[in-house]
Amino acid sequence: MVVRQYQEEIKYLEKITETCWRIKKGFQPNMKVEGVFYVNNSLERLMFDELKNACRPGAVGGFLPGMKQIANVAALPGIVWRSVGLPDVHSGYGFAIGNMAAFDMNDPKSIVSPGGVGFDINCGVRLLRTNLFEEDVLPVKEQLAQSMFDHIPVGVGSKGIIPMNARDLEEALEMGMDWSLREGYIWAEDKEHCEEYGRMLNADSSKVSMRAKKRGLPQLGTLGAGNHYAEIQVVDEIYDKWAACKMGIEEKGQICVMIHSGSRGFGHQVATDALVQMEKAMKRDNIETNDRQLACAHIKSQEGQDYLKAMAAAANFAWVNRSSMTFLSRQAFAKQFQQSPDDLDMHVIYDVSHNIAKIEEHMVDGKQKTLLVHRKGSTRALPPHHPLIPVDYQLTGQPVLIGGTMGTCSYVLTGTEQAMKETFGSTCHGAGRALSRAKSRRNLDYTDVLEKLERQGISIRVASPKLVMEEAPESYKNVTDVVNTCHAAGISRKCIKLRPIAVIKG
Amino acid sequence: MDEKEMNCTFAIVGGGIAGVSCVESIAFLAPEEEIVLVTASSLIKAVTNMVPLGKTLMQFDVEEKDISVLMRAHNSLKIINDFVIKIDCLNKQVETRNGRIINYKMLCLCNGAKPKLIEEHNFILGIRDTESVLQLSQKIKNSRRIVIVGNGGIATELINEVDGVEMIWVIKDKHISATFVDPGAAEFFMDRVYKADKHIYTNVSSLTKRMRYTISNTPAVTGGPALGPDWHNNFDIKGVFLKSAKVQIEYECEIIKILNKSEQKEFDPTEEWPIYVELTNKKIIGCDFVVSATGVVPNSDIIGLEDIKKSEDGGLLVDWKLETSKQDIYAAGDVCSAGWELARHWFQMRLWTQAHQMGRYVAKSMVSKLKNEEFLQDFCFEFFTHVTKFFGHKVVLLGLYNGQKLDNNYEILLRMTKETEYIKLILKDNKMQGAVLIGDTDLEEMCENLILNQLDLSIYGEDLLNPDIDIEDYFD
Repeated sequence: MVVRQYQEEIKYLEKITETCWRIKKGFQPNMKVEGVFYVNNSLERLMFDELKNACRPGAVGGFLPGMKQIANVAALPGIVWRSVGLPDVHSGYGFAIGNMAAFDMNDPKSIVSPGGVGFDINCGVRLLRTNLFEEDVLPVKEQLAQSMFDHIPVGVGSKGIIPMNARDLEEALEMGMDWSLREGYIWAEDKEHCEEYGRMLNADSSKVSMRAKKRGLPQLGTLGAGNHYAEIQVVDEIYDKWAACKMGIEEKGQICVMIHSGSRGFGHQVATDALVQMEKAMKRDNIETNDRQLACAHIKSQEGQDYLKAMAAAANFAWVNRSSMTFLSRQAFAKQFQQSPDDLDMHVIYDVSHNIAKIEEHMVDGKQKTLLVHRKGSTRALPPHHPLIPVDYQLTGQPVLIGGTMGTCSYVLTGTEQAMKETFGSTCHGAGRALSRAKSRRNLDYTDVLEKLERQGISIRVASPKLVMEEAPESYKNVTDVVNTCHAAGISRKCIKLRPIAVIKG
Repeated sequence: MDEKEMNCTFAIVGGGIAGVSCVESIAFLAPEEEIVLVTASSLIKAVTNMVPLGKTLMQFDVEEKDISVLMRAHNSLKIINDFVIKIDCLNKQVETRNGRIINYKMLCLCNGAKPKLIEEHNFILGIRDTESVLQLSQKIKNSRRIVIVGNGGIATELINEVDGVEMIWVIKDKHISATFVDPGAAEFFMDRVYKADKHIYTNVSSLTKRMRYTISNTPAVTGGPALGPDWHNNFDIKGVFLKSAKVQIEYECEIIKILNKSEQKEFDPTEEWPIYVELTNKKIIGCDFVVSATGVVPNSDIIGLEDIKKSEDGGLLVDWKLETSKQDIYAAGDVCSAGWELARHWFQMRLWTQAHQMGRYVAKSMVSKLKNEEFLQDFCFEFFTHVTKFFGHKVVLLGLYNGQKLDNNYEILLRMTKETEYIKLILKDNKMQGAVLIGDTDLEEMCENLILNQLDLSIYGEDLLNPDIDIEDYFD
């Protein structure tokens, strides 16, 4: 990382519109293209604070500020036009979460990077609607949440209750939601409302290690812990009545279910295996990056192809996982309300992927190009009339589901033409974090504990705050700020706001 | 069920967590196969529909607790309330005390373990199974002072849950709860141990996120199944003499003897207490009764299985398929000892979590053998996990959480906020090997993945736990 004075650093930054900043070449070494990031006033302040903190003497740590990560991605071989930071961008392994970038499939130097997809491959959000209203659910809220807990295994070491043996897993990896459909877990129309119809065709389970399969098998149909959750939500606001109507959302107070999960340990193992392979390939092919975490391989290389096939298998795993939880949620509701899921109108509104790389056609400088689009913590947002979106949403544009942080509001947006022009058809994915701003103030105190531990004779390092923050301690890039920025920038349109009434998490 | 001789594909011995998990899994994987479950006591089973009634009370569906429910749910299952007295491996027969003969194709022993007792004595109670807790809750009502011996999970939960009496906690270690946590975490808990009114803290959450086990209301029998998680929710373990509990801890000592009648008289002529114990630190303590929660011994002595291979701890040695040295005889749960080459981040502990995992996996193993199908060892044996609750805090233990197997050759990365969280990461060569997470840290999934991925964490250093950085989705 280039260490310069903050005043020097900001010379490379330029505000180009009310909501968009440009990162000029030279901000980080070897930038092949420029970077951009989208912010409103409060997000802007968080982004610049992050940079300012990183410029302090002695502050160089493992966590790079978002702007630096966006610029490092702009230095990757084969990148096209610009590296894009969405309003929720925050520090992540390799690519920042909320950073997207596209690579020219026809440039032999172009790369694919597991750090640009993320470990939790095809982590995403699915939204189910119901024909119930808040007053139907409030009196039985606790029972319903308990019933969801009973149906969907959560937490560390929890195991799925969908029966699956090694052969089933192979099939699921290749077939994605077609497997779920064949086994009777989902409805045929669920597939229509998923990206890629819930199945990546280039998946090849033979490119997936045995350890990944073993690790994935027990986790199918489980929610996990950490930032994964399911929520029972209420429609709180409708901004675009017509588009909401197309999604089956008629009025305020309607109940929805949001499921936020991914490929869990399976994806982690696929990514870990690929990182090891790619580190070797980088030496062989003389690929250099600014950050070791940006391990990558030429798209056309064996390692690149193997990764894409294994990643596709992990994407299929994630869809089967969300489909299993859809099945379990429908069961929980059916049991509670003594009506079939069909009668409760529990259709999938849409299912979006946050962590994925896909081959797409885009116009760059007036020319159509085939690109490998990496979206990490970023959602595809296709405009009306785009051939890849289902019939139901041809006129509205693709629904974009934005999960807030657990317990805060969530949004449904729709895709726009502007996103195709500016961000390769991409928008934000949720809330973000501000580096060096924890959500809760922690008063660390080790006095008695350290004394007891030291007797063991093990070397101990303690975590301590490095910086004294002067500004107000906002920790999150608030989901409402994030969504409003996307709306103002025109890279997606607000449609529905949802508010949680029960959270199911590990 | 009057027939003296019966045939089945799978015979399961023991109605504890391992046995019931095994039965349920077989019924699920091979519903057409006949199963016989022999259990010495009323059955433990999972219950649902928990409804919270106020702060500490829970209500659940009583009808579902009937012993026959499991049978009704699975047509292929027969349950026999009886004791196994002999196993004939040659003819593949199990013989029970009431003279029943069960012919099996495969047998799974899930008959658990028994508490190690200091001494057989009227005023010493071993806590291990559901019967002993019933006894405890009855005895405690008329007690003023009890001595609790042991430093594991049950002793810890007792200290936290028992109310209204004076407790003297005798532990052989330098710190409390040594089976599960390090001295630092013990210190973290200390505030809660000494808190006068602990029930402010026992925040019984309104929702249950893990499988719950309970017992049926039928009278308990000696040798009943072991306790599951959250066992204390079903019992009223409250004394009436004190408004709140009082805890005194005697560190690094054990009971060396129980005073006999004449010694008692000599020590305390008033004979205020029914039992007096002498500790290795020379203290003599009188109390209403002693609770012994000092671990278990596998119930591996079964007539007919004298030459089966056993491990040093007395458990039945099993291979990765959970098969014992006798063909077609499997074992799961507390009665067995892992005899395969263990994965780097896993080790055996006699916990309900592992009983449950083994019960499910042994079913898979036996059914696969029967159907001649290939199967993989379950991933749960790749990585140690245990979730519990101590003193009102969620406790998550992952991998080599106390540096097990690392010969003190590791580093600790620590973060603690009093009353809120205690996070200890075990690192070796800059790779995470284990973690203790106490409180709502939201770091369990991240730690699980970092231990399994063995990602090099050198560039982060202490920043990995920097209190100003929320890191839980960084590695997503």
